[in-house]
Parts: sequence; structure tokens; C-alpha cells
Amino acid sequence: MTYEIEMIGIRKEFPGVVANDNIDFAVRKGEIHALVGENGAGKSTLMNVLFGLYQPDAGTIKIRGEEVKFNNNLDSIAKGIGMVHQSFKLVPSFTVAENITLGHEPSKLGFVDKDAVRENVIKISKRFGLKVDPDSRIRDMPVGIQQRVEILKALYLLSDILILDEPTGVLTPQETDELFEVVRSLVATGITVIFITHKFREVMAISDRVTVLRDGKWIGTKDTKDTNPKELARMMVGREVLLRIDKTEANPKEQVLTVENLKVLDNRLQEAVRDVSLSVKAGEILGIAGVEGNGQRELVEGIIGLRTAVAGDIRINGKSITKMSVRQRRDYGISCVPEDRYVRGVALRASLEDNLIIENYDKAPISKGQVLNLKKIAQHASRLISEFDIRTPSSKVIASTLSGGNLQKVVLAREIDARPKLLIVAQPTRGLDVGSIEFVHRRILEARDRGAAVLLVSAELEEVMSLSDRIAVLYEGNIVGTVKGGEATEEELGLMMAGITDEGEDQRDSHSVEQQVSQEV
Amino acid sequence: MPSKTTKTSVLLKSSQMFKLILMQLSGLFRKSLNVIMAILAAAVVGSILMLIVGRNPFVVYRLLFQNAFGSERALFITMQRATPLIFTAISSSIAFRTGVFNVGVEGQFFIGAIAGTFVGYAFQLPMILHLPLSLLAGFLGGAAWAYIPTLMRQKLGISEIITTIMTNYIATFLISWLTNYPMRETPLVAETPIVQNTARIPQFVNLNPNLAKGTQAHLGIFIALAVVIITWYIFKYTKLGYQWRMVGLSALFSEFGGINMDKTFIGGMLVSGGIAGLGGVVEILGVWRRYKDLFATGFGFKGNLASLLGGQSIIGSTIAAIFYGGLEAGALGLEWSTGIPRQLIDIVVGLIIFFMAAQGMWSFLNKLKLKNGKPGEGMMAFVKRMFTPKRKEETL
Repeated sequence: MTYEIEMIGIRKEFPGVVANDNIDFAVRKGEIHALVGENGAGKSTLMNVLFGLYQPDAGTIKIRGEEVKFNNNLDSIAKGIGMVHQSFKLVPSFTVAENITLGHEPSKLGFVDKDAVRENVIKISKRFGLKVDPDSRIRDMPVGIQQRVEILKALYLLSDILILDEPTGVLTPQETDELFEVVRSLVATGITVIFITHKFREVMAISDRVTVLRDGKWIGTKDTKDTNPKELARMMVGREVLLRIDKTEANPKEQVLTVENLKVLDNRLQEAVRDVSLSVKAGEILGIAGVEGNGQRELVEGIIGLRTAVAGDIRINGKSITKMSVRQRRDYGISCVPEDRYVRGVALRASLEDNLIIENYDKAPISKGQVLNLKKIAQHASRLISEFDIRTPSSKVIASTLSGGNLQKVVLAREIDARPKLLIVAQPTRGLDVGSIEFVHRRILEARDRGAAVLLVSAELEEVMSLSDRIAVLYEGNIVGTVKGGEATEEELGLMMAGITDEGEDQRDSHSVEQQVSQEV
Repeated sequence: MPSKTTKTSVLLKSSQMFKLILMQLSGLFRKSLNVIMAILAAAVVGSILMLIVGRNPFVVYRLLFQNAFGSERALFITMQRATPLIFTAISSSIAFRTGVFNVGVEGQFFIGAIAGTFVGYAFQLPMILHLPLSLLAGFLGGAAWAYIPTLMRQKLGISEIITTIMTNYIATFLISWLTNYPMRETPLVAETPIVQNTARIPQFVNLNPNLAKGTQAHLGIFIALAVVIITWYIFKYTKLGYQWRMVGLSALFSEFGGINMDKTFIGGMLVSGGIAGLGGVVEILGVWRRYKDLFATGFGFKGNLASLLGGQSIIGSTIAAIFYGGLEAGALGLEWSTGIPRQLIDIVVGLIIFFMAAQGMWSFLNKLKLKNGKPGEGMMAFVKRMFTPKRKEETL
């Protein structure tokens, strides 16, 4: 039988690493083929080879039985391969139609034929049943729809093989379900889909077959119906993995964090946190669930002092910190693992040593008076590197040379080592692989058991549910409900995240929410 | 048994150390490789220009080198030329590294110069007080001038890139007015009175007439080197230096880590301006001894360039400043001895900067060259390929 895609013996080497080592990968026509593996396992490299962005050092690629050689992605696009990247490549100020046709605009006398642009887009969106408004601008759309535009962009170039690189990373559970519907309908029209992910739930839910890579090698290809998450995890990591971490009962003590009627503005000076009150006790984890963009970022930044509170009060052990600077709050016992690891969490161009002392550079023994103790700094760094199993050739290398998982360990090490009273962790495992996720979760639990109050903010429902002792759901800047960790179901939380509470009241209509808030105020 | 294990561990350690040193060296080489390649490329293009105007480039470059580093006298001239550039290069580097865009080094240099000149001629004091006070006045003058854009950013949110450029013009005209009216000594020329003997920085010829004959090299070079050492120490070994570095490397990370951004910005700007001003007053007290209106221009901009050339590191920009000073001394000598316009050398300097900025071009060339090789390794691969014997390539 001829495969739609056949990659045989693919090898791709980068200086110092073999990213793909003799990988065989075959996809049947019209199937949804999941490609899974930890970060650095070689998934992206393999797909970039298929998409023509990299040239393999060895191996052959066959498309529909015909051997091909791609020098760049134009060659692969010509063969009907389309790729939707993890980070969208859209122009925010352009309309949907302009984005989809960008670079291939129909033209008239050398000018862009705007009517034809619209018509083409409407035509293609009808054909595949992907509803979008061709005239609205990308910057005004939720991510789920933006992704749909990305898919349409690939389809517009007549792709019949679609590579989706970790497409669900930014979606809510509901949006993910919608995406699955879209993918299924595409497959029904004869399109072949390669679905890169490291979430087993998705592999099981959507794929027909699944291929696992580890350390650049092919580990196995299975029919999805013949496998299970446990087996996949073992294949991916090479050992037994706890998918859901065992944890002991929380042993909450005194109240550490108290937030009362907090109101925080976002960058556009809109109320992002409208009226939030919550509390976290020592030795417990409060999880904040919610679709991203419902005020989580502003809530965290408000508590650690990067944003000023326009109203309300934040207290640690009964003392108000609302007016304190970031430094004062840190010295008062707040630590934070920020959601944008690469921007706030580390300075990519600074050495690990420098990255690891931002919390304590002004305290003994790291410094004395004005003078830094370079020896102590190096010792501090090597201690954290070994305690947190940070994989790096040296503590002197700059942070950008580390993988995402190792960078997150750097952030965790620094923030947990400060032994905070309150530990805030925001999206702690985003983009991490199974092995690293387990590690991060274990460390968060350890911090809890040592007596820290932990505020966990995550868009990953599974994460919130498996770690939290209590769960609060944030929707449009308000907490719409709080449930006990062990008792929550995914459906219940999902509905609350969409603004639908038990009373059957649909808060999707933002006007009603505003009214409600103004009444409350 | 135990002695054996310690021995191997020592061995292991030293081999690791060796590896680390090698890594750092190769990093250094890699960094300076860009500069070296840029200089070579600029020299080549410069040669073409010289051929066009009918000069033998080999002769020109030889004379250039001789006049810059080829004799004791040349070295002293280079030193005199490099002294102010070291200050302005360090000033620029501090700003760059702190994440501040101080394009106003030029203005701060001259304001410092005029402030120091005033203290230098207006007071009668013993040297032990007079000289330090004049230097301090220069530092404070530069810092104060840098404070204006700082204030405008803090209070009004105006980007310092714009305001520092504008304050350069204001500085030039302000000084023109000062030297033409209130500080003018004679009706004939727009210049201030000469500074007191007690405020002058001695020149080498004053100390020993045979040492630096026919040059104006002065002891200010030691002040410059002291500034280099102090700023290097601050960046490497102090909390302040750590804050500066971190803010320069990532403002968002530093803010998250609790570094006071306002304080760091203001501090970086003031110290940068102060050092520029100190450079100005050192130039006056060591070479000119009075402020002549428009006695020179471009110290600040040359400092900016030297800082870029030196990769914005303290040591690198110092070396670049000395190199730049050498080029100037060489060009000066060329003009005297052969009549080649020094602007030709300015063009070569411009080309060096151009080729450094054009790093993208290198990797582009690189990619063309290595179409079937591995892209993305940059210049190293390019050079490696150049030095690899052909035979080896075939076996690969």
C-alpha cells in the first residue's frame, strides 16, 4: 500500500545533537496521525524537514509514493503540505481575508483585488465549513478563531496534508472540542492531518494512529484504539510516569494571603480584575482556573506588585502590602513563577548564575555591603542546579541555551529556594513535557507541604484539578465560583470557565456582566 | 586508594577548567571575529577608494600604522587622541549596558568641559584642591546635563533617544554663547581665559622634555584608565553593577525581580553623563588649557562608535577607543607627511562600522556558500570552511 507521506531513515544533526536519528514515519491518506514526544524528542525537527524548512542529512521523503526533495517550504507547499505553527503567524491589524490571502493575493492591474480577496475567502470557508468573518481584524478575535484563520490560510494554498503543531496549547476545553470537530470535518473531505501534541487526552480523543519519538529516535507507531495513555507515557519518557500526581491531604494552617475586593487594570486601562476576593492558607494550594485573558495575568501582577491596585486590599499574614514595591513584597515573603517564562522569568541573555540571584543578590552571603561574592554566587548556582536537576554544561552559560523545561526549573529553583510564605505559580507547566511536568508538580507540592501558601494559576484544567485543594474559577475579572479540589468535575469547571454558573445564567453577554458588576459596586 | 581518587578528581577538575577556559576563549574569538572581519572588509573597500584617487593602498596602510603605533612619538600622539575617546566610549557603554539610550554623550562631554574650565580659571587654589575640584565640576556638569533628558523621561514620558539628541544642539549653542559673551577673555577670539597652572593636568613633556617630544599627551590617560578599572569593577563585582547589567539585559525580568527601574535608569544616565563630562574637562585641562568655541566636535559620537566596535563591554570599548585614537593619529600623520586627506581614513572607519552592522550579510554569504551544508552556524562555519583543505570536504 502506498502511504500519503513516507519518511524513511530521516537523520538531522545539529551541532552537538542528533535531533532526528534514523526516523521512519508514515502517514495514511485521510487519517489523523498524532505525533507525540517530549520536548526535544525531535517532533518539530521532523515536521520542519517534512515542511522543507530543514534539509535532512540522510533519508528520503516520499509523497504519494513519489520521492521528493524539498529545498524550502515553497516546494513542500507545492506538494500540498500546509503547516499551522504553534505561534500564529498572522498580522494583527489585517482582516481575516487579508491574512488568508497574504502573499498570494488575487490582483488586478497590479493592485490587490479586494473583492476577489473577500470572495475567495468566503468560498474556501464555505467549502470546508469553517465559519469566519472575512472582514474582522485578527487583533479583535479570540485565539480559537485566530487558529481557524491559520488553518484556512493553509487550506487556501490547496494543502491536503495539514501539520498542526501543538494546536491546543492556547485553547479552552470547549475551543479544543471545536477544533476537533473542525479537524474531523476536514478529514471527511479527504485531507490528511498530522497532529503534534503531548497531551494524551487529545491523542486518544482524535487520532487514528499515533507515533512516539524519544531522544530523536522512533519508538513506535500504534493504532490509537490499541493503546492507552499509560503505555504512551512510558514510550515517551522511557520509564513509568505518574500521570496524576499522588498527593497527601492538605493540612491548612493560618491564613497567609488575603485579597479583598481587588480591582486591577490591564494595559488598555480596562478593568481586567473587577472585584476579586480570595484567601489562601499556609499549606494549601488554591487553584485559579479560567480561560486565559480573564484577568489571571493582572491578578498575579497585582499581587506581586507589577501592577497597582486601583481598589481593594492585599494582605500577607494580616499586613497590607498593597502599597509596597515589588522588592518589598519579595522581601516580605512572596515568590512567583511567572506565566511568561522567557520574558519575566529569566533574562535570556544573562548567565544562569545571574538569573539565579535576582531574588537574593542584595542579601548575605551573596553580597556584603555593595560587593558581590562571586564565589558564593557560583556555589549558590551549582547547588540549585543539582537540587533541581537543571541540565546545563555549566552555570556560566547564558539562559537562552537551555530548553524550556530546564529554564522553568531555573525559575522554580530560584523562587522556591527563597522559602516564600506565598508562592504564586502561573501556567507552571505550559509547553513542558510529561517528565518535566511531573517534576514541577512535585516541587509545588513540596513547597505546600513545607507550609507555603500556594496560588496556582493555570489554563490547564487537568493541572488545576490534580494539584489544587480548592479551585476558584475566574471569568471576566470575577470569581464566579469556588469548589473543593477533589469534588470538581471537568464539565462543571468548563461551564464555569465559560461564564455559565449553576443558576443557569448565561454571562456570555458582557453587558449583563457589566450591569451585574455595577450593581454590586 | 584515596590518593588515587583525589588525583583523578583533580585531573578531572583541571580538564574541566581547561575546557571552560577554552570555551570562553573561543567565545571571545567568536565575538572579536566579527570585528576583525569587518576591519578586513573595510580595509579592502578602502583600498579600492585609494586606488581610485591614485594612491597605493599598501603604502597608505603602512604609513597609517607607522604614524599610529610605529614610533614612541606616534604612540604618544595615539595616547593623546585616545584619552577623550576612552571616556566617551565608557560613557556610551555604561548607558548601552544599562539599557539607556544616551545619544547625548557629545553634549555632556562639552558641558563638562566648559564647567571644568570655569572652575579651572575662576579660582585661585592650591593644586591639590584645584585640580580635583575642576575634575569634579566636569563630572557634575556632564551629569547635570544628562539629568535634563532623564527628568523629561520620568516626568513627561519623552524618550531619551530624542531628548539626548536635542540637548546636544542646545549644549553647542549654549557654550557658543558662553564663550562669546560672559566667559570671553579678549575681544579678538571667542575663548575663555586660560586655566590656572594649579588646575592643569601635566603633559609628559613637562615631566621630561625627552619623553614625548612634540606631543601633547598628558597624564589624563591615567584618569581614563582609572575610570576603566572602576567601571569594570562595578559591573563585575557590585550590586549596583548587577542591577545595571540585568536591567540592560532584560528590563522586564529585572522589574519582576524587584529591581527599582527608575533608580537604575537615573543612576545609569547620570554616571554615563558624568564620565562624558569628566572626559571633557580632562581634554581641556590636559591639552587645550582654555575653552575655544568649537575647538573640536565629535568626541561623543566617536565614543558611541568605539563602544559599538568594542561590543559594549568595558574592556572591549577601551581597546576600540585606543584603536580609534590610533587611526586618528595615523590619519593626522598621513596628512602631514603625504597630503592624503584624513577624510579617507574617516571613510574607512565608517566602513568598519558598516560591515559590523551588516552581520546579516555575513550569514547570508555563508548560507550561499554552504548551500548543502548546515545553515545557521554563522561566521565560524564560513571561516572553518575557508581553512579546511578541499580533500577533507570530499570525504564528508
